[in-house]
Amino acid sequence: MVFNGFFNWFVNLFRVRKDIRLGIYGCTNVGKTTLANRIAKDFTGEEIGRTSKIPHETRFVQKKEKVLIKSNGKKLSINLLDMPGLETKIDYRKFLKFGIKKKAAKQRAREATQGVVEAIKWLNHVDTVLAVMDSTKDPLTQVNITLLGNLEAKGIPVILVANKMDLKKANPEHIKEAFPQYPTVPISALKGQNIDELYKAIIKHARKAG
Amino acid sequence: MIKKNRYKKIKMDFISATMLNGKSGKKKINFILSKVKDGSILVVDGVLKPEEEIDLIKETMRRVDDGFPGIEVCSLKKQAKGWQQFFDVLSDRSEKVQDIIWRGITGKPINKGLKTGLTLIGPAKIIKDVKKNPDSFSVLAEV
Repeated sequence: MVFNGFFNWFVNLFRVRKDIRLGIYGCTNVGKTTLANRIAKDFTGEEIGRTSKIPHETRFVQKKEKVLIKSNGKKLSINLLDMPGLETKIDYRKFLKFGIKKKAAKQRAREATQGVVEAIKWLNHVDTVLAVMDSTKDPLTQVNITLLGNLEAKGIPVILVANKMDLKKANPEHIKEAFPQYPTVPISALKGQNIDELYKAIIKHARKAG
Repeated sequence: MIKKNRYKKIKMDFISATMLNGKSGKKKINFILSKVKDGSILVVDGVLKPEEEIDLIKETMRRVDDGFPGIEVCSLKKQAKGWQQFFDVLSDRSEKVQDIIWRGITGKPINKGLKTGLTLIGPAKIIKDVKKNPDSFSVLAEV
């Protein structure tokens, strides 16, 4: 018994613990990068990426490693992964409306489609997912349903983030009603409202890796 | 004088789940996308599995070009209640176990076919909006 205890202590001493790969997923313009920036800035002092009102600003997976989340005296080390927005359609003409020139718009659309493919591939490598939804919009989109269905099939823990709760039209309850089986945290990533509740939920629900 | 028909046409293909079930995962996705890229709206009396749905999105993204901006998908799953729900969950779990064993032997996923429900898949160029409720959905198409 004593030997076993010593052996386990010795093994644990040299065991490399992997950090949790926390993927931030969702449709475009729901505030994924704003949330990634909030988390990264709160615990590392640095932002992770650029945000924009033009859809598909994030077209490559953005990473921040060794982010130590702290809440209520508990700690959790994560590798933060900000994913490109998931969509079933990307039309370069949409970008023209934002004043982007045709050539650049086509390039943006091309990169955005590759970004979606990359984000989907990463579903096989994340340990926990924050599924970000816009509280001012209908959450019952096929992209959200497909994303949650896949995470459930893979057994990956999910926390629903009902973002943009600071806006007048926001209705986080709508998200809870649409997907009652998942823990849901209403927040404003932009203003930091209720963000500590999200950190508590991450520490509580995140799956241990390694 | 003959009046010109001012209405443009939309082609709808109603596909049985049996027909799609006869195809492997990749062939199924290719079949759907070739029809949709040709401008058809597909209505299938079944629901793709989550992994097939995400493969459909991934493959769509690979085929997006100036003339094909992508797809709109909407599905309605059969909502089981009471004992039926219990047996469905049981059947799902058993399917997963069977799939693990099958993958172990053949290295390929088991082809179990579509689940009961309804799926609509169409070109995003034509389908402008999809409003989904838990038990219904409505589609706005424009030619």
